[in-house]
Amino acid sequence: MNDIEAFRSKARAFLEGMAPKYARDARAGNTVEQDLALGREYMAARHDAGFGGINWPTAIGGQGLTNMHKIAFDGEEMQFGMPVQFFGISLGMPVPIMIHYCQDKAFVKERVIKALRGEEIWCQMFSEPSGGSDLAALRTRVEPDGNGWRMNGQKIWTSWAQYCDYGVIVTRSDPTVEKHKGLTYFWIDMKAPGVEVRPIKLAGGDSHVNEVFFDDVRLEDEQRLGEVGGGFGVALHTLMIERYIATDSAGFGPHLDEFVKLAQEVEINGRPAIEDGRIRSAIARNHAMRAGLDSITKRAFLMMQAGMQPGPEGSLQKLVAVRSRQKLSELAMDIKGNAGLEFDPHAFVKTDWGTSWLNAPTGRIAGGSDEVLLNTIAEKILGLPQDHRPDKGVPFNRIPA
Amino acid sequence: MSILYDEGQQAIATESRRVLDARMSKDRLLGLLERVGEHDKPFWDTAVEQGWTALAIPEEFGGLGLGLTELGLVAQAAGAATSGAPFLTADYGLSSALLGSGKKDLQSIWLPRLASGEAVAAVALAEGNAILPPQSAVAFADGKLIGTKPAVPGGLTADVALVWAQADGSPVLALADLASVQRRAVSSYDNSRLHADLTFTGTDAAVLAQGEGARILALETLARMAVVTAHEQVGGAEALVNIARDYAVTRKAFGQPIAAFQSIKHRIAEMYGLVEIARANCIHAAASEGLPGFLIAAADARISATEAYDTNARDCIQIHGGIGVTWELGLHLHMRRARSLAVEQGSLLFWEDLLVSQLIGEAA
Repeated sequence: MNDIEAFRSKARAFLEGMAPKYARDARAGNTVEQDLALGREYMAARHDAGFGGINWPTAIGGQGLTNMHKIAFDGEEMQFGMPVQFFGISLGMPVPIMIHYCQDKAFVKERVIKALRGEEIWCQMFSEPSGGSDLAALRTRVEPDGNGWRMNGQKIWTSWAQYCDYGVIVTRSDPTVEKHKGLTYFWIDMKAPGVEVRPIKLAGGDSHVNEVFFDDVRLEDEQRLGEVGGGFGVALHTLMIERYIATDSAGFGPHLDEFVKLAQEVEINGRPAIEDGRIRSAIARNHAMRAGLDSITKRAFLMMQAGMQPGPEGSLQKLVAVRSRQKLSELAMDIKGNAGLEFDPHAFVKTDWGTSWLNAPTGRIAGGSDEVLLNTIAEKILGLPQDHRPDKGVPFNRIPA
Repeated sequence: MSILYDEGQQAIATESRRVLDARMSKDRLLGLLERVGEHDKPFWDTAVEQGWTALAIPEEFGGLGLGLTELGLVAQAAGAATSGAPFLTADYGLSSALLGSGKKDLQSIWLPRLASGEAVAAVALAEGNAILPPQSAVAFADGKLIGTKPAVPGGLTADVALVWAQADGSPVLALADLASVQRRAVSSYDNSRLHADLTFTGTDAAVLAQGEGARILALETLARMAVVTAHEQVGGAEALVNIARDYAVTRKAFGQPIAAFQSIKHRIAEMYGLVEIARANCIHAAASEGLPGFLIAAADARISATEAYDTNARDCIQIHGGIGVTWELGLHLHMRRARSLAVEQGSLLFWEDLLVSQLIGEAA
């Protein structure tokens, strides 16, 4: 057994030990606040057990292992349904960016350890009402204010902001240059005067995303990450950090086995649904698609282990998996008929078809919409031209609104 | 076996593609479409010369002792070139069945001849949409076959065939020398496949397996062939992505390359996605040869590769507009091949059912 596999079995043993108190079944019926409290406990236990900051340097509170170790752990953890959703973005992007760019190393170390233990949570503030896929269209403005900055504007779709202590943010510092060139990146204190967080209730009934408003928020220049005007580069860096995260060919919805089980339990026209050709076809097509994605993941994993760069086909994962989960969830609901109308808004997306269906549109938009992902594949992998962009080369304040 | 190609395997992929790029001719292939009973001799001569016929045959029979992964890579190159002969897959099917049967005498007669290219094989399992019909129309009795197998790929010129038949209602997998068989050429939409109805009129045949054993061996053989065909389909589907891309970046409309329109670029990105999913399944299936779960892996490969090739043939032509439907441009070579390969080795209807049966532990 190689090092990674040994680590994986150690991780599994840890997770099995934690499961009775923290995993999916133990969380059933929790309010968000209860779940968050449980999550913080779990994160502390995870850090104590040596599984926090797996691929981060030991000098700042990590474990000093490789990306492979982290992916192995995440793959195992995902199967248990631990209450980690609050910390995923925090540890995935803002904190690593702090490690990379923030000059005050003692401050960073303290933040890292508290974030790893679930004591503090960080959010990432990129999207705005005027720019989601078009990140550089953002309008939140910073202006020089003495030896620091003053910020005004609004962000949106900020995950877990209502529970966050800190955040990273891209702002417009110069509207007189091209839109990508006038941006500057900061970290901010979410409890600072002038920061107001308003949760947005989503279609599925939960409110994990927020609007964040800034009214004359004071920023010290020490809070700046990267150069003035270099914010777009730091933002891209942020998005690249988690390029090889643990993937899920089920599109973060129920496993295909759940669908097969359902089809074996329910009848259509007096015969088990599993004998119906339409159902069999859907199972087979989904199986083939998911097996392909799994094989792509496995190959990428082996390539990284061998010190090679994985192929670009990994970028298909979310696009293909979430889209198909959406349709499969609809079919599962068809199989249940009116027996499937009963709906529990707190059910888990990985075990409940109704919840999976209702939240699938979010999955197809967040973290790169299907259309943006297709553009990326077309442009970056296949070398096809960019779309026509009328705002190219135009100073931001001259772009027609 | 690893799902990462080693250097030798990568060399096979590169070299087979290079040789075929240099030697294949679209005009020659177009000509074959309108002639019944002719295959692309330069392609098959190349296959023999390059040792592709010997690739997956054990060394003791004059082969190179390599496996499904290597043959798959050659098939992928052949698929990209819409190569004009069906024998690589059928040869492999027949030799796999022979090896699986344990019939040493038959192995030593046929395997060296297949390896050297002196003989070519056909695999005659299907009747209509039934790839392994429960009651075959071909009867086996007293060492002889009687009955007809319709539209067998390669049937027109093959020297030997693997035949799915029945004896008193029980399956038989038999090997028949085709020297005396009656052949009727089928004029098909993909004529270089050499489809022919084979009529056995008391043809001598040797039994490779009977009853349940015949079913298991036939299914295993079919799955191996399906993995080779899936590679061929991936090769074709990938070629179509490249053709579509090259056209879309040069063809202009409304003042810009058509590839700058999302309706075009997204279509090509989707085609790419289908290829990569099918390729990943092919690599996994080839590496799973002989392991538990091989049938499932083969079905995954076959289903995704069929979907990829059919879709990409359809969409590549669509992206070309009017020029795409001309005889001369030849995209219909891929469109035709996508369909002939989708039917050979059993269509999606068969593989979807087989996959689900395997997943839930039904008898296939």
